[in-house]
Amino acid sequence: MSAVIAATNLSKWYGNVLGLNDVTLELEEGITGLLGPNGAGKSTFMKLITGQLKPNIGTVTIRGRKVWNDPEIFRGIGFCTEQDVFYEDVTGWEFLKGLLRFYGYTPAEIAERAARALDIVGLTEDKDRLIRGYSRGMRQRIKFAQAVAHDPEILILDEPLSGLDPLGKRKLIRLIRDFKSQGRTVLVSSHVLPEIEALTSRIVLIHQGKILAQGDIPFIRELIEKHPHQISVRSSDPRALAARFVGDTSIQKMTFDPDGRTVVVETHQRDGFFGRLTGVVLEAGIEVDEISSPDDNLQSVFEYLVEK
Amino acid sequence: MATVREKGYSHWDGRLEERRFPWWPITRTGILLAFRKKRFKFLFAGAFFPAIVALVGLYVSERLEDFKAFIQGSDRLLNIGPQYFAGYFLNDWLLFMILLVLAYGAGGLIADDLKHNSLQLYFSRPLSKKDYLVGKMSVVAFFVLIFTAVPGLILIIFKLIFAGSFKFFLQYPWLPLSVLGYSALLTAFFGFYILLMSALSKNSRYVFVLTFGTYIFSTVLYGILNGIFRTPYMALFSIPANIQQAKAFIFGLKLPHGFPAVWSFAVLTGICALSAFVLGRKTRSVEVIK
Repeated sequence: MSAVIAATNLSKWYGNVLGLNDVTLELEEGITGLLGPNGAGKSTFMKLITGQLKPNIGTVTIRGRKVWNDPEIFRGIGFCTEQDVFYEDVTGWEFLKGLLRFYGYTPAEIAERAARALDIVGLTEDKDRLIRGYSRGMRQRIKFAQAVAHDPEILILDEPLSGLDPLGKRKLIRLIRDFKSQGRTVLVSSHVLPEIEALTSRIVLIHQGKILAQGDIPFIRELIEKHPHQISVRSSDPRALAARFVGDTSIQKMTFDPDGRTVVVETHQRDGFFGRLTGVVLEAGIEVDEISSPDDNLQSVFEYLVEK
Repeated sequence: MATVREKGYSHWDGRLEERRFPWWPITRTGILLAFRKKRFKFLFAGAFFPAIVALVGLYVSERLEDFKAFIQGSDRLLNIGPQYFAGYFLNDWLLFMILLVLAYGAGGLIADDLKHNSLQLYFSRPLSKKDYLVGKMSVVAFFVLIFTAVPGLILIIFKLIFAGSFKFFLQYPWLPLSVLGYSALLTAFFGFYILLMSALSKNSRYVFVLTFGTYIFSTVLYGILNGIFRTPYMALFSIPANIQQAKAFIFGLKLPHGFPAVWSFAVLTGICALSAFVLGRKTRSVEVIK
């Protein structure tokens, strides 16, 4: 599949501060999460791929077209900024209609699209209120509405969930997933791991202006050889289970949880261990309650990668 | 394997209008937001006062016999020619009102965008920086032209209507061009000047003060320097003096300051060039790290 968004040797600096350092990346259809702590370079990357900033080195292309100095490319892109970016003294309705005018639609089409976008984000009833009076959640939703109102193929969302209450987050996550289900491309940034995990398993980890890893979470986890996989097995007899693995050279370490029922195994050969575990459990007749991988999640992967 | 999707692209079957003026939404919004400000409509109406007075003057000039009881020897003032029109354009009230309307109604054109980070929104649309600036400039042009070219041409038309002949037009055939030329000069200068001021602050109140302050300070500076050096060239420091000099040249009148008008044109052009440079720098999309 050809890349929808491609960055090649992308670098951006501000004076002597490096915002982004030699980033080469290809993003395909579907949702991709751009994850990194504050100041990692997420917003710089977002602004480079939306043509807001000119790269010092490198190029960004969308569907093969260079982004910089090509305003027409934005007919197919929706951008939801991190900060509030609206005049406070206009209504949500006027705000959307004003922005839709840039696309050359007829007045009737503008009204129809604005109404549809407001309906999508559930702000139809509040459309005639001044944005000044909107709550934080409503502001996030109207920002999302302006990004999707022109029906873009690509949606770029910079920290769209920040400041939302749990219900608001759930609603917006559903909207983003709906958008993806229509076969479109979504790039969403966040520094909050569960938010990204709720949206997608395909992530790009960015830290100090560099791409640390790209792929789905288990794939990235596999790449981290320095840290063995942790596998937690809760069973009726953890000690008997552990005894069966003594002498297994693929296992680095075994520890017991304070609950007395769980043994945590550390190994580089996760799949091999699972194969042997099945045999041992059947052979010894040990009852297994739960098997989990405590470090096979985004939080652990991220912490390993940034050497926390 | 192909991706399985719940729903395909929804293609839009509507008609796409040709975007010959991509800057128009910017202009439209700028004008509408100006009229939404408190007291702006009052100011706007007040700026037409000189045009109404000039129109009454035109009418009276054609009916001197009817109004001789009122004008009592002031008919010399109603000698309608280029001087009369130039007088309309450079009466203090009109220039003051134009500046007031622009500083109040258009001062936030860029300042508000900087304050609200709206440049990100604009530049993630099919809109270039040039379109953006042309759109903003057009807001200023709308307000300047509506107080200069529009009344100026209407006054000429009314002069012909009141006179009932084309004699005046045949006598001064170049006058409409002078009106348009001077209006274009004011539009260009105030367009750059107001946008320059607007780009220097995120607060439209500061822009208001800065716009008036710079304008008035330039005249005060002229007065001080003229007092010290006693040379007419010091008028080059004054924005109104340069506008006066340019106006006199365009209307073919005696120059008010003792130096060639080209110097004033050069100063006004220089201010526009400085403005263009600053605007180019300030209307870049936001930097992430400042």
